[in-house]
Amino acid sequence: MAEKADVWQGTLALMVLKTLDTLGPLHGYGIARRIGQTSGDQLEVRYGTLYPALLKLEQEGFISAEWGISDNNRRAKYYTLTRAGRRQLEKESREWDRTTGIIARFFSPSEEAS
Amino acid sequence: MRAFRAFLFRLTGVFDKGRKDLELAEELESHLRMQIEDNLRSGMTPGQARRAALLKSGGVELAKETCRDRRGLPVLETAIRDLHHTLRLLSRSPAFTLVAVLSLALGIGANTAIFTLLDQLMLRRLPVKHPEQLQMIWTTGPNFGSNQGSRASSYPMYQDFQQRAPAFSQVFCRYYTPLSISLGDQTERVIGELVSGNYFQALGIGPALGRVFSPEEDDRIYKGHPVVVLSHQYWVGRFGADTGVIGQKILVNNYPMVIVGVSAAGFSGIDPARSPQIRIPIQMKPLMTPGSDNLGDRRRQWVQIFARRKPGYTMQSAQASLQPLLTAILRIELESPALRDIPQRERDQFLARTVLTESAANGYSDLRRSYSTALVVLMSMVGVVLLIACFNVASLLIARAAVRQKELAMRLAIGASRGQLLRQLSMESAVLAVMGGAIGLLLAVAMVQGLLRFLPANGMLATLRADPDWRILAFNAALAIATALLFGLAPAWQALKVDLWSTLKEGAGSVGGSRGSVKLRKSLVTAQVAFSFLLVAGALLFVKTLLNLKEMNSGFRDIDNLITFQIDPARSGYSLPRLKAFYQQVLENVRRLPGVKSAGYAWVQVLSGREADWDVLEEGHQRAEDRETQAYVNGLSPGYWRTMGVPLLEGRDFEDGDVGGHPKVAIVNRKFASTFFGNRSPIGRRIGLDTGRGAKPDTEIVGLVEDSLYEGPRQGVRRQVFFPFPQMNQSVATAFYVRTSADSGSMFATLRRKVLELDATMPIYEMKTLEDQLDETLGSERLSATLSAAFGVLATLLAAVGLYGVMALTVARRTREIGLRMALGARQGAVLWMVMKEAFGLLGIGLALGIFCAYLLSRYVSSQLFGVVAADLGTAAVASITLAAVAGGAALVPAWRASRIDPIQALHHE
Repeated sequence: MAEKADVWQGTLALMVLKTLDTLGPLHGYGIARRIGQTSGDQLEVRYGTLYPALLKLEQEGFISAEWGISDNNRRAKYYTLTRAGRRQLEKESREWDRTTGIIARFFSPSEEAS
Repeated sequence: MRAFRAFLFRLTGVFDKGRKDLELAEELESHLRMQIEDNLRSGMTPGQARRAALLKSGGVELAKETCRDRRGLPVLETAIRDLHHTLRLLSRSPAFTLVAVLSLALGIGANTAIFTLLDQLMLRRLPVKHPEQLQMIWTTGPNFGSNQGSRASSYPMYQDFQQRAPAFSQVFCRYYTPLSISLGDQTERVIGELVSGNYFQALGIGPALGRVFSPEEDDRIYKGHPVVVLSHQYWVGRFGADTGVIGQKILVNNYPMVIVGVSAAGFSGIDPARSPQIRIPIQMKPLMTPGSDNLGDRRRQWVQIFARRKPGYTMQSAQASLQPLLTAILRIELESPALRDIPQRERDQFLARTVLTESAANGYSDLRRSYSTALVVLMSMVGVVLLIACFNVASLLIARAAVRQKELAMRLAIGASRGQLLRQLSMESAVLAVMGGAIGLLLAVAMVQGLLRFLPANGMLATLRADPDWRILAFNAALAIATALLFGLAPAWQALKVDLWSTLKEGAGSVGGSRGSVKLRKSLVTAQVAFSFLLVAGALLFVKTLLNLKEMNSGFRDIDNLITFQIDPARSGYSLPRLKAFYQQVLENVRRLPGVKSAGYAWVQVLSGREADWDVLEEGHQRAEDRETQAYVNGLSPGYWRTMGVPLLEGRDFEDGDVGGHPKVAIVNRKFASTFFGNRSPIGRRIGLDTGRGAKPDTEIVGLVEDSLYEGPRQGVRRQVFFPFPQMNQSVATAFYVRTSADSGSMFATLRRKVLELDATMPIYEMKTLEDQLDETLGSERLSATLSAAFGVLATLLAAVGLYGVMALTVARRTREIGLRMALGARQGAVLWMVMKEAFGLLGIGLALGIFCAYLLSRYVSSQLFGVVAADLGTAAVASITLAAVAGGAALVPAWRASRIDPIQALHHE
């Protein structure tokens, strides 16, 4: 069980970082909505997974948080990508590419043939 | 790095939980509202929008919970909670806490204290470059000459090793000597070290200021290097770390010399117990030890040799490589005029001399040699004390756990895991151990300060420190952890063996705990008694040894009214005639003081471990071949014997007329007379010192005195010959002895003033009563006796507490049974006896075990004893009776309580 959650948290962290990289400072709801939309509504990000993940990223220094006012005048906590976070994103996405590349090769037709 | 940052974040999270919780709640709330607004915008009704939002986002409480765990450190928080709980529990039973913490503190403190001394004297490596390569070198066998100090070699022998030993990159030597230093109008006495020029280079010690000696600059010219290197400690303490000292002139033994440097900070020398204040090139020896040169004399052994091994050699191979070299040197020495004519037997003995070496990684110290066995024995004893203390605390914890059994069972029943309970019980042990360790550390510092007073105080112990450094702190911490494991594990394990059903079923719960826990406590008590026996018996042996040594008839009378002090005019530049006149003058002035009954002086200070011995020639006998001719020598002033209270048996004392130019005279003691002359009177016979070829028996014996001690009680009475000091022509320090009628303490200042009236710059040292002198000489015996006695008392008390505890528990468990017995007619006496029988049973097994162990261990301490054998039956009996009395007395309390049980109440008990 724990392993599955880790994988999910790992990918969620990458998604959060990418979202903040693309859209700039954003509150938790914004991040959740964006991830949902980007996945074509295939993913649903719940409180119980999102906020612990955000807390972890903040503790590790990849994002910073600050209270601000949202578009419709509501107090919300805004998350911003830090410089360390940007480096982490680059590193993680490189690794992701590599991993998916390797996995893809396993499922490519040539692999099956040989 | 990231992980550490997160850890810090979470650590702070532990402390502002409440605020963070509120913040998260607000954040989640705003999330929900935004979701609802979005839902409304997409056309839902308010109710639908809210429900959909809640569904989509999942449980708020779950998110809060997960975040809360993420934010703080759950492990730490539980630990803090356990700590709180434990502290509350402990503060609720102050008596238990006090006894447990105090016994641990005493045990840990005493261990830390002894370890502090042991570590500094025996374990620490020298703070020099690669100490493991250092090796000390000395030779055994007869040298047909004089020896000064332990493991001494002649200077030419050192030079041979230095030039020709293949296994060593550097061979260096040193010699300690007291020196008088004059700065301006102040003169003080310091410990100086005469060193070979390569001393600092070989040790890898550089200067803190100026320069240190080098073989090129400071070891070439006989008497030609008037230069001084100060130790860092002396430079800071005496010169206030003034950088201007370099190039400054000082008078050493009234000889002008120049300070050229200060050695590196932290380096105090090769002897961990003695730190010389200044160092001087050894080529200056004739000027630093007036009246004796010795540099070129192969028959005089006085330097200690050390060497740094080359890589590729082991201790053994290096030592082996020296033996052929030594034999070659000895063959050459045999051709010298001094040895050419000795008989074949002695030639063989001389050539059979061997080289010995020893690692000098932690230096070399005479003090260490005389104290190390005592310290190791004491360390073992104090370890046993700690063990007893641990058993006591363990026993107390078992009792507590037994009382809390119902509580523990209840907590298990409502779902606490055994792990959680174990954690909490260990927390209790940990808290006790930490408190005990911390208080123990404070106690240790005080104890070491007290212990240092047992060691001889003549300026040797500047290096021993009482304040703990990291090594001591680490030892202390390790000890606390070890004790916590030792006393905490068994009770915790015992407590968790609870049987839920039977424990919860019993009405009021069993007072005494399970049968297993009682058995465990009984074995602990048995072990305590056995250990205590070891300590008490050991203490008795050491105390007896000290008493035997102290009460051994010294031959001197009333030694607490006998003041001694020393002066050393030769080191203030006095010539021999001036020195003799000065001693005479001091003697006359002191004798005239009110409160002084008589006074005298002696060349060799008595009861201080020092000695001089010579072979003696006797008229009518030629040079002795196979007869014991060695005699112990001293030079005395007139009036010495009266001052010391030693009766003159025959003939006369020395007189003022016994000076150079007059007939040479001597006094002998009874032991000497009976060895050399049997029952006949020695008066009028002629003897002489066997100083080699041409020595004649030219001295007439004029007096016979009663035997008295020389070096100290352990060595006993020696065959002794005494000469008038003025006829010995020695430029040496002397010890004055002054018998007072007034309180000796009040006389110190008066005596000092009297000497200073004659020479205001004369250093006066080692002023004390002869009794203090004896105590100092018996320092290691006093240390063993006092400490082991303290440990013995402590162990007995701890064992008594232990036995009391177990018996009280047994009585509590059997209250109903005893009540029933009494209801059926048992007498109080019978009940008392029933309980005591059990206590004596435990005592008996413990004592038997103790006696058996003592028998096995006895041979390890026999070298430390005097006048008593290790397997002494009387001692064993006294120790057993003492222990039985004290511990039995402790058991009597619960036994008496048992006999007073009211049968009616007891039967209602449950």
